[in-house]
This record gives sequence, C-alpha cells and structure tokens, in this order.
Amino acid sequence: MSEQQVSGIQKFMQGRGIRKLRRDRMAVVALWVIGGYLLIALSVAFGILSKEDVFDRVGPDNVVGFWGSQDGERRLDQAQFRIERIERAAKGSNPEAALANFRIGGVSAAPGTPDEVLARVASAWESFDAVAAHEELDDSPAVPPLFSELEQRVDRLFESPTGFEGFIQTMRMSLGTDRQGRSILFRALYSTKVAVQIGMVAALISVLIGTLLGAAAGYFGGWVDHLVVWLYSTFSSIPWIVLLMVLASMFRGGSMDGTLIPVYAAFCMSFWISPCRVVRGEVMKLKELEYVQAASAIGFGRTRILIKHVIPNTAHLMFINFSLLFIGAIKAEVILSFLGLGVKNEPSWGVMINQAKAEVLNGFFWQIGAATAFMVVLVLAFNVLSDALQDAFDPKHV
Amino acid sequence: MSSTAPALLEVQDLVMHFPVRGGVFNRVISRVHALNGVSLSVRKGETLGVVGESGCGKSTLGKCLIRLLSPTSGSIRYGDEELVGLSHGDLMAHRKRMQMIFQDPYSSLNPRMTVREALREVAAFHSVETPNGMGAYIENLISKVGLRPEAADKFPHEFSGGQRQRIGIARALACNPEFIVADEPVSALDVSIQAQVLNLLMDLKDEFGLTLVFVSHDLKVIEHFCDRVLVMYLGSVVEELDCENLHADAQHPYTKALLGANPINDPDDRRPLTVLQGDVPSPFELPTGCAFAGRCPVAEDRCHQDRPRLERKTCGHQVSCWAVD
Ligand SMILES: Nc1ncnc2c1ncn2[C@@H]1O[C@H](COP(=O)(O)OP(=O)(O)OP(=O)(O)O)[C@@H](O)[C@H]1O
Ligand code: SF4
Ligand SMILES: [Mg+2]
Repeated sequence: MSEQQVSGIQKFMQGRGIRKLRRDRMAVVALWVIGGYLLIALSVAFGILSKEDVFDRVGPDNVVGFWGSQDGERRLDQAQFRIERIERAAKGSNPEAALANFRIGGVSAAPGTPDEVLARVASAWESFDAVAAHEELDDSPAVPPLFSELEQRVDRLFESPTGFEGFIQTMRMSLGTDRQGRSILFRALYSTKVAVQIGMVAALISVLIGTLLGAAAGYFGGWVDHLVVWLYSTFSSIPWIVLLMVLASMFRGGSMDGTLIPVYAAFCMSFWISPCRVVRGEVMKLKELEYVQAASAIGFGRTRILIKHVIPNTAHLMFINFSLLFIGAIKAEVILSFLGLGVKNEPSWGVMINQAKAEVLNGFFWQIGAATAFMVVLVLAFNVLSDALQDAFDPKHV
Repeated sequence: MSSTAPALLEVQDLVMHFPVRGGVFNRVISRVHALNGVSLSVRKGETLGVVGESGCGKSTLGKCLIRLLSPTSGSIRYGDEELVGLSHGDLMAHRKRMQMIFQDPYSSLNPRMTVREALREVAAFHSVETPNGMGAYIENLISKVGLRPEAADKFPHEFSGGQRQRIGIARALACNPEFIVADEPVSALDVSIQAQVLNLLMDLKDEFGLTLVFVSHDLKVIEHFCDRVLVMYLGSVVEELDCENLHADAQHPYTKALLGANPINDPDDRRPLTVLQGDVPSPFELPTGCAFAGRCPVAEDRCHQDRPRLERKTCGHQVSCWAVD
C-alpha cells in the first residue's frame, strides 16, 4: 500500500462518520456481533471445522442440548443406539482393532479386552430390558432409578475425552444432534460461513453494479439514463425467486450445478436494482451542486468528475445498501434453501430449517431453534448497523 | 481604473435560453429566457459589478462568461479568441485563465476532500507547480487567503462559512488565473464577516493582478468595490455606469429604485432591498414593451408597446429607458 492510501485510511478512521458511529452504543454492539460472526466465518473458511465435522454422526439422533430434558422413549432409544454400536465393534471379525478405533464424535470405547467389553455390554442390555419392561416410561415412579442404573452402565462402555478434546466434545453436543445424529452447533457454525459468503459476494457485486450504473445514469442522463431505467424496470418486474428457478434449471447438470454460482447470479440480478435507484437519484442532485460545477470550471472531464467528485459522495449510500443487501441475501438464502433451490452439498441455515421440518412434528426444536437464532442475531445486528450508518455517513447530517 | 486599458473580455448579444422539458415525450414545452442579448466589455484589471434582483440572470451571465454554460447565441471574445462554440477540449487552454468563486460556501466544496487535496488537484491538473514545490505552493496559498497552515488537512465541514469561502477563493486562485467571476461571494455569509472576505478578495485582486466580474444583489457593496456596474433586469442590461458617482449619474428608474433602497449614509438601515411594488414578469414569456413597465413609477404609454434599447449617454454610461434622453 502506498503512503497516500495509508493516510487515506487513517483519515477515514478519524473521520466524522466513524467518530459518530463509535458514539452510537447500539452500533458498537452490532459491530462486535458482526465481528464475531465474521470471525466464525473466517475460522470455518480456514478449516477449523471440516466437512467431516458437519456431516459425521456424532451421537444418537435428536439428542437434546445440554440444558434440555427428553422423554423416556428417546432416552431408551439413545441407550440402545450406544450399546449396539459397542456391541457391533466387539463382535466383529477383528474386535481389538475395531474397539481401539471406535469413535462416536469424540467418544471412544472404554479400555478392556473384547470379552470384558462384551460382559459390560451384556450387563447394559440387562438393565435396558429392565427399563423396557415398563409400559409407562414417563409416569411410573419405578422407572427413574432404573434409568440412572442403565445410563451408568452405558457410560461405563465409553471413555469421554478430557482436556481440550473434552471441551470440543462438550461443544459438539451442546446444542444436541439432528435427525442423522450430526452436531447441530457445528452445522450452525459452518452455516455462518455460507451465509457470510453469500451475503458478502451478493451484496458487494450488487452494490458495485448498482452504484456504477446508477451513477452513470444520473450523471450522463440522456440515452444512458433511459437504458438503465429501462433495465431496472424490466428486472424489477421479475420476482427473484422465478429468476432463480430459471437459473437453477439452466445450470443443472453443468459444472456449476451444486455450487453457489446460480444463487449469486440470481441475487445479483435482482439486488443491484435498489442501490442503482437511490444512487441515480442522489447523483442527479449532486451533479447540480456547486463543487461539481467548480470541477468543470477547472476543466476536469466528465468521467473524472463522476469518479472523483460525485461517486465518493454516494459512499454512505453504498455502505447502507451493502448492509441492507447483506441481510436481504441471507434471508433469501434461507428461503431458497428451504425450498431446496439454494445451497447444496453444504449445511446452511436454510438447509437446517428445511431438515428440521420433520423434527418439529416430533416436538424436537433444537435444530430449527439454533438455525433461526443464529440468523436472527446476525440480521438484527445488521439492521441496527444500517440505521447507524445512515445516521453517521449521510453528508447531510452534519 | 483607466478606461483606456485594453478589453480583456468582449461580449456581444449574449442570449441564453434554458429549454424546459415535460410531457409524455419529454419535448421542449417552453424556454426560460435567462439572458436576452447582453453586451458588455471587461477591461484588463478592472472590477465590473453586476447587480440585479434574484432570478435576473446574474449567475447565468457569470457562468456563460467562463463557459460553464454554452450560450444559445452571441459572442464572447476573450483576448482575440472566440469562446462561444468551443468544445470541451478546445476550452481547456482557457480554463486555466478564468475561474469562478461560487455563491454557496456549503455546497461549493467537495465534502470528501481536504483543503490540500482540493487545491493540489487544481494546481497539478494545470501544472502550475511541480510535484516537489506543491506543498509549499499550497501552504502559501492557504496563508494568502488568511487561513492557518493547519487548515490544509481538514475537511470542509470543519470550517465556518467565512472560512469555507476563503477556501473557495484559494481554489479559484490555485491555477493562477487572470480573470475571475465572483458570484455573490458573500451573500450567504454573516454580515459581520462579509466585509473581511470582501476586503480579502480585493487585496488578492491587486496582488494577483486579477480582472474581476463581481456579481451581487447589493448595490452598496458594488459601489464600494467596483469600478463600473451593470444593472440587470430580467436578463437584460438596463444601465451601465461608473461607480464613482453612482448616485448622481444613475438615470434608469430601476437603478434609482435600487439606490433608494440602499441609503449609503446610514449603515444601520436594514430595510428590504427594493421598495419596488409588483412582480418581475415571467422569464418564460418576455413582455413586448419595457420589462420594467409594470413596476416603473414613470412609465408612459410607449413603454408598454416598444422595448427601449441600450443607448450610450456619455462615455461609459448607457441606459435603456424611454424616459431618459
Ligand atoms: N439550469 C437551468 N435550467 C433552467 N432554468 C434555469 C437554469 N439556471 C437558471 N435558470 C433560470 O434562469 C433565470 C436566471 O437564473 P440565475 O441563476 O442566473 O439568476 P440570478 O440572478 O443568479 O439569481 P440569484 O440572485 O437568485 O442567484 C432564473 O429564472 C432561473 O430559474
Ligand atoms: S422605458 Fe418606460 S417603463 Fe421602462 S424604465 Fe423607462 S420609463 Fe420605466
Ligand atoms: Mg445567482
């Protein structure tokens, strides 16, 4: 970076807009929240969570998070799942190796020879049968002691990791598991990356396209203006969901099928319109201002004036539109993925909500709750930030 | 100012009509007659005042003079070159020589440029200074307009209106021009600082050897600072005279009305600018007779039928009025 650029950034950071933003307490909180999300997204992008972490079974289906309680039926199912896993390993053709390599999430098999393990398995089954003999698992007073006996015996089959691994395991299970026994927290965290990625790319490209076209239309007027207005009137009359369906079918089977490119394309095609509109209007006002006339009097060409004197003064609109479109893209991603048109081969909040449809019917809310909470907090933070940006950067609010 | 100095700028029959578009097909539905045949000449080194009510075309005239606007017709000779009809590229050579100081200090500076950037941009574009000497050149300019050196790295919003107008003056001077149009440079400022800025402008005029066209709606200011004055009404010059004996020489009823509203011997008098009754005619449809007829205290029948022409009375004095002979 040249010295000039550095001083430009310094000046920006010490500028009036930033100072105003810093004084706005809500905006600062929102910025921290967004910073947290960006950190998560970056960590995921740099491989802190692998695809295995979000696709591997880490436990029984629909385990609840740490501060939830579940009914007897589900506890029994989960005990059965655990015992069966160990039993299968101990009865295999090479039980020593199978037991040594045994893993569900971070949990491994407790040490012991295969025979010892099988003995423990048998005692667990015994206890299991004792519980299962009861018809009314949730109401009978005799059941709870039997359940704790069963769960103690099941726990004896396993060895939980300690130290850092233990912490990871705690995190892994903290929001429970989905219908395929995958970690909900890890999937939600991974989805953060997908959301931020879609938000960034779609908002950035849309704002750039919209600003350039809007500024050119507002500044040059004439046929340029007519063309741009015609373009956005046409595009805005196509609902983006239709656009996306068309694009998705266009890309089907091609090399881009399953990537995010159709999603980006559909979002950008419809999202550039709103920055384009507002920037066009603003530029029409700006070009009548005396500093623009002063620049013409100096002799600068129209393009130079547009780039150096007009567009920089629409920066506040770019910030605000970026922020708004970021939210728009995240929400749209959720809707699309919910419809099965959006993200593929990766978890995303929309994919999670889509999968949670069946769970919700069974009274399991952890997956839909986690995905929604992650999304709502980010969207809320961006909404607060958008308002604060509006207040801080609009040159008219001196 | 000696009236024998050569003319720097010679304007003949300048007409500026703004088309007004509307309707479904965006056709020209009417025209604003902002300038209707203005002729004038500016001698090298003099200060020519232009006075008139709001909307009479003062700014339009100023902008045509430095070719910010392309006049509908007429001729502007600068030195011995014709400016009307020149393209953007051909005008480039002239841009360096003529500049403008704008009316509104709050919209005439780019809010995202520091003073230094704004001045450097001008000086570098016209290569009036080498990159090495640029820092010193800009600081010198800033001190010339009476700002502290620290001002260089501040943004416009950090200044008061008067200081902003000083920056506007510095920007106009940055390319070292010889001719400047000052379009109501102080009318947006507090009365208490108007005089400071005006005095600064006149000092700089002498120091830089500038030729100045000074636009104002305040005849008192013009009388004080200018050598000659053009009185404009609805896009035409109605009287042109020397400022030395303004009160004695003024003959046009409109000029007299303006003077009456500005009693020079009572500085505390803040009566409204004009005591004239009635409205200025619409600039869309020019009246057939004298444009001032509807408000003139001495209007005759003839005034409503025939338009008077600007006629030379004495050397340097022209009036357009039937009642003056
Ligand atoms: N770009 C334009 N398009 C259409 N009409 C214009 C334009 N610029 C000026 N006019 C009209 O031309 C006439 C003269 O305007 P001008 O700005 O020159 O007046 P002025 O004497 O400078 O007034 P003020 O004292 O208010 O600055 C006005 O009627 C104005 O509405
Ligand atoms: S021509 Fe007639 S109306 Fe016009 S200023 Fe002279 S006297 Fe008044
Ligand atoms: Mg004006």
